Amino acid sequence: MTDPYSVLGLKPGATDDEVKKAYKRLAKKYHPDIAGNSAEAQKKMQEINAAYDAIINHKGSYQSSYSYQGGYSESENDEPIELRAAVAYINARRYMEALNTLNSIPAERRSGRWYYLSAYAKAHVGDSIGAMNDINAAIAREPGNITYISFRDRLSGRRTQYEDFSRSFGNISTGFFPCCFPLFPFFPCCCII
Amino acid sequence: MFGYVLANGNKLTKEEKATYKAHYCGLCKVLKEKYGAQAILALSYDMVFLELLLADLTDSEEENGRERCIAHPLKEHEYIITGTTGYAADMQILLSYYSLLDHIRDDGKGKESEKKLRAFIPSLEEKYPRQSKALKDNLSLLTENEKANTRDAGMMSLIFGTILGEIFVLDDSSFFRDDLRGLGCGLGRFIYLLDAWCDREKDRKKGAYNPLPDDISRDEMREMLLDAASAASDAAERLPLDQHVSILRNILYSGIWSRFEDRKKEK
Repeated sequence: MTDPYSVLGLKPGATDDEVKKAYKRLAKKYHPDIAGNSAEAQKKMQEINAAYDAIINHKGSYQSSYSYQGGYSESENDEPIELRAAVAYINARRYMEALNTLNSIPAERRSGRWYYLSAYAKAHVGDSIGAMNDINAAIAREPGNITYISFRDRLSGRRTQYEDFSRSFGNISTGFFPCCFPLFPFFPCCCII
Repeated sequence: MFGYVLANGNKLTKEEKATYKAHYCGLCKVLKEKYGAQAILALSYDMVFLELLLADLTDSEEENGRERCIAHPLKEHEYIITGTTGYAADMQILLSYYSLLDHIRDDGKGKESEKKLRAFIPSLEEKYPRQSKALKDNLSLLTENEKANTRDAGMMSLIFGTILGEIFVLDDSSFFRDDLRGLGCGLGRFIYLLDAWCDREKDRKKGAYNPLPDDISRDEMREMLLDAASAASDAAERLPLDQHVSILRNILYSGIWSRFEDRKKEK
């Protein structure tokens, strides 16, 4: 595949902020309202989306064999058909559908891989508690699996990242109330002057 | 339930405060124009956050203006209305209406406001079937669990998070719908948990339902909140935000903790 940075007109190693700005500039340029609904503009938009996805969502330990780049090949035929469908949904970033498909598989057929896929999809719809439970269940079934372990590290890593960045704001937070009127509807507003 | 998604005023620049305030006033103005003067009482910071987020994400055109209003009759102030202000206002009305129904059921308060809002609901439900369904289904799930006295704060907060997750998804065919859903869900979990934490003394006195265990410590609470906040922020960082990113980060990494920190001072 083409280097995702060059798709966005950037040099490799550009910062996330530069990637985001470039993405928005191009997304605006190829937006159907501006570029029309041509097949070419649509294709271009898909390329831009894929490049953005490759840079922002698939770096470091987040690299996953389930990403569209790596594809999913090695043991596809050994999987029950339901798992293949879930993988296809995950590759298409349709996590809700992936979870529905996964949940239709009866509990006794749920493997380590099932729990990994479930954790992956849950993490992407915001259920970090469920994701953590499932990835632990996956690791309990296959203790040596590097993919599972690095995914758990990724999940706990975002906590650390959050706390580090949060600390940079200082410990004391004071709510900012641009207007107190809706909060105290029956009091004369203190911020009229 | 609402009013936890605040910004940290100490860390906003003068320009950022002005921007935040102008978007706040824009949302207030649209609420009033679409739903009447009564509706501005429903205005919450949660939806100001959503408006700023979606306006940034969609690179929405801005309409700027200055005017006086009921709250500020003497001094003109600036407002900004974007292509997503109307959506945030609509969602505000849906959320307020359904939470009002909850209040009426719990303690009978709010019948007057309910009557005034009721007329808008059918057309909103028709316009936003996905969001309305998520609201109704999950609120009734919450009610069922409250009746059964299910003391599982993690699960309960996830049900509430699902609602906000759907509301954050402006367009379900958007490339960024999953990250928006994740952000909304994490933030919704945070709001639900913090609300339960702030209400727990009051609920205990009244013998009312509260999802948190009686003996939960402040540190345990912080852990749960951190998990929700970091899930929300992780999703937010994957979105191509640039215009309002420093205000949004201020809220996600700092401002949302204001009420939690307030509670510490009370003790």
